[in-house]
Amino acid sequence: MVIDDLNHFLKSFFQAHHCSILRDDNGILSVQLTEEMDKALMNRPFYWHYMKKMGHPGEPMRLTLITNPEMRNEQGEWIHFGSPRLQQIIHYLQEQEKYTKLFQQVNPTMNTPLYPWLVTNLKISYKGKYKRDELFSIGLNLINGTMKSDMMETLDKVPLQTTISDFCYTLSPLVKLKSGYLRIESVLDSYIENQEHKWAEDSLRELQSEAELLRHFYIEDTEDKQMEKEIQEITERYQPRITYQVINGGLFYLTSDIA
Amino acid sequence: MNSIHLDKDTIFINELENRLDMNDPVSSWELFSMAFHAEKTTMTPSFKGLRALEFLPHVDFLKHQIASAEQVIEQMNGRAILADEVGLGKTIEAGLILKEYMIRGLVKKALILVPASLVNQWEKELNEKFYIPAVAHRKNMSWEHGNIIISSMDTAKREPHRETILDLDYDFVLVDEAHKLKNHKTKNYAFVRTLKKKYCLLLTATPVQNQLIEIFNLVSILKPGHLGNYDSFLESYGKDRKNMKQDIYLKQLVQKVMVRNTRRETGLNQVKRHIETIWTEFSDEEKDVYQQLENSTGLLPSFSKITFLREFCSSREACYLSLKKMLSEQPELDTFHQITENIEQLPNHKKAEKVVELIQEIGDEKVIIFTEYRATQLYLQWYLQQNGISSVPFRGGFKRGKKDWMRQLFKDHAQVLIATEAGGEGINLQFCNYMINYDLPWNPMRLEQRIGRIHRYGQDKDVHIYNFALKHTVEEHIMKLLYEKINLFEQVIGHLDDILADLSIPDIESELQEIYAESTTPGEAKIKLQNLSAVIKQTHDTNYGEEQKYGN
Repeated sequence: MVIDDLNHFLKSFFQAHHCSILRDDNGILSVQLTEEMDKALMNRPFYWHYMKKMGHPGEPMRLTLITNPEMRNEQGEWIHFGSPRLQQIIHYLQEQEKYTKLFQQVNPTMNTPLYPWLVTNLKISYKGKYKRDELFSIGLNLINGTMKSDMMETLDKVPLQTTISDFCYTLSPLVKLKSGYLRIESVLDSYIENQEHKWAEDSLRELQSEAELLRHFYIEDTEDKQMEKEIQEITERYQPRITYQVINGGLFYLTSDIA
Repeated sequence: MNSIHLDKDTIFINELENRLDMNDPVSSWELFSMAFHAEKTTMTPSFKGLRALEFLPHVDFLKHQIASAEQVIEQMNGRAILADEVGLGKTIEAGLILKEYMIRGLVKKALILVPASLVNQWEKELNEKFYIPAVAHRKNMSWEHGNIIISSMDTAKREPHRETILDLDYDFVLVDEAHKLKNHKTKNYAFVRTLKKKYCLLLTATPVQNQLIEIFNLVSILKPGHLGNYDSFLESYGKDRKNMKQDIYLKQLVQKVMVRNTRRETGLNQVKRHIETIWTEFSDEEKDVYQQLENSTGLLPSFSKITFLREFCSSREACYLSLKKMLSEQPELDTFHQITENIEQLPNHKKAEKVVELIQEIGDEKVIIFTEYRATQLYLQWYLQQNGISSVPFRGGFKRGKKDWMRQLFKDHAQVLIATEAGGEGINLQFCNYMINYDLPWNPMRLEQRIGRIHRYGQDKDVHIYNFALKHTVEEHIMKLLYEKINLFEQVIGHLDDILADLSIPDIESELQEIYAESTTPGEAKIKLQNLSAVIKQTHDTNYGEEQKYGN
């Protein structure tokens, strides 16, 4: 699932940060920022510094974001996937929302155990001549070792909260977080291992052919510093590389029927 | 698989453990899931295609601009010469390429080297059009800390900047007006070659202008060895550029690193050029002075004579000032004292009167006037003001800020912008579609550059060009024998560089001056001019009857 309704996305973002919504119609969203959001988005550290010095509470700004291109002549900022404002918000999310510990919300009448799951959302980037990314959401049951893909979709259907519900208790993990993570990683390793890496072969071929051209260019003087530099540049540009990056993840306590 | 580097994430799990141990605050489900969806939205799932287009919904890219960007990224692997004709949007293509690399996380640190006069414009365009946070280099700014820095070549190659810059690793280097790098013995060339860079774009409107060896030099910045080494290249192709056309193999090689869109292919011709010659005639008094100047042969080098004549065709002031200057150095030239006195007596210049008439006819539209002489520029400004027409001056010598300001004044307040030649390069005036060439440059390429200021990407109205010329003067010769005879504006202009190179004429302006200098009578000069234009026309018809393509 991707962000298909930007207006909704923004509204949820600001509401989650306790900003009041002043206006929301026809793709125009006005919010009263909180101090935290003002500091995060409005880029005016001196103002806040000054207010603090003077002992004033400071006045957070209002922000109007226009997601409907038809309305972009209205007062406010037109926001879309390329706009700096959205980049800023996304960046903020990625910085702030990396780690979590959540509990499934249930209303049991008797004591109910919750099972610990390690959930990681992990991005694999393939970079050679060019680059592409793949995103995985993997959950690992830390009691019985069950592994689930598309974990975020499963979790979407489950009510979650940061505190544990009454009559619930947590089982302590049999698999440690770290070894759990290594298990997830090794599954990805074999996924990578089993792929055909045509992109990497192409890149290596390109690397070799440009390096050969280069040697031909410096036919008389192969010790040339310039040539070393250029070999380095070619390698930088083509050397196939795969990177794992965890976008976010955490520990989830879920009832037994999620399996 | 063994040859692929694998970098794993070692930080996350440790940090998660720490946080849980310390009972640090953690994300709510809602925000946690939003961060995931944001990532899913911004990542790049495919090797192919331009993601940047989704990120720039406010820009209407032209087809050829998108195709060029794709070609550079997917086929040329990010090292290319962008050689579109003037006005087709090389900057747009370059911005699109840079944006794409930034979105994919392949470029973080970039250096953009452009002529000093274009620094602000690049900054504005990259920021406003592409949301690329590029900054123009200012005094005392650190090269290490800025990520996307725009600078002039002259600043960058000077110490202490040079050393710092050469120490840095750039993901992306762009050089605008890269034809200045064609000579491998220059400092500029050495500097660009030594820069540590991953991706590299060279922008130029005139790549095949001169000798083949210059293409070799440009290509060797991007892909050393692609055209062989220096010696082997010289051996196979010599220094004679004509080989380019004959050698299909070489042409194909060059096409692998060069993109060239022409006006014709891109259909940008839809905005039409209306070109009109406006003839005027000297008044009798002016005619007399012109005659006196013309008859003053023998007294001074004929080179200066032709200069005086050209100046006189432009304005009394231009000629007067040069004559005064000469007389202060050589007061013995008696006849010229008389001429200067005569000039002082003259009423307004006929061409200036015509300009006012024309502007009034045009109505409320913005008009650019180009002149070769500063004295004329001042005079015209005064004269237009006398007639209630507001104007602003523009010169190459203006500082960046002043140029921007003048452009803005012209856009918002004044009706007319009066520019001298040196001010012609590097400002975009698409909001204006009338141009008056008050005096004609002898190098037609410069005329094309002037026109390129308004007939370019972003212009949505037809452009009107008025070329002024005085009857029975040297201007008439140039106009009739050179410009009109060879159908310059309609046909030849796109190939003029190539034609002149074929004819081994390095500089048409000095060629023309020589013709006048070496001719004893105006009639003789006329015949020589006629011959020159005949040769140009013939070369054009035989070699360029069919459109030549150097790229794509």
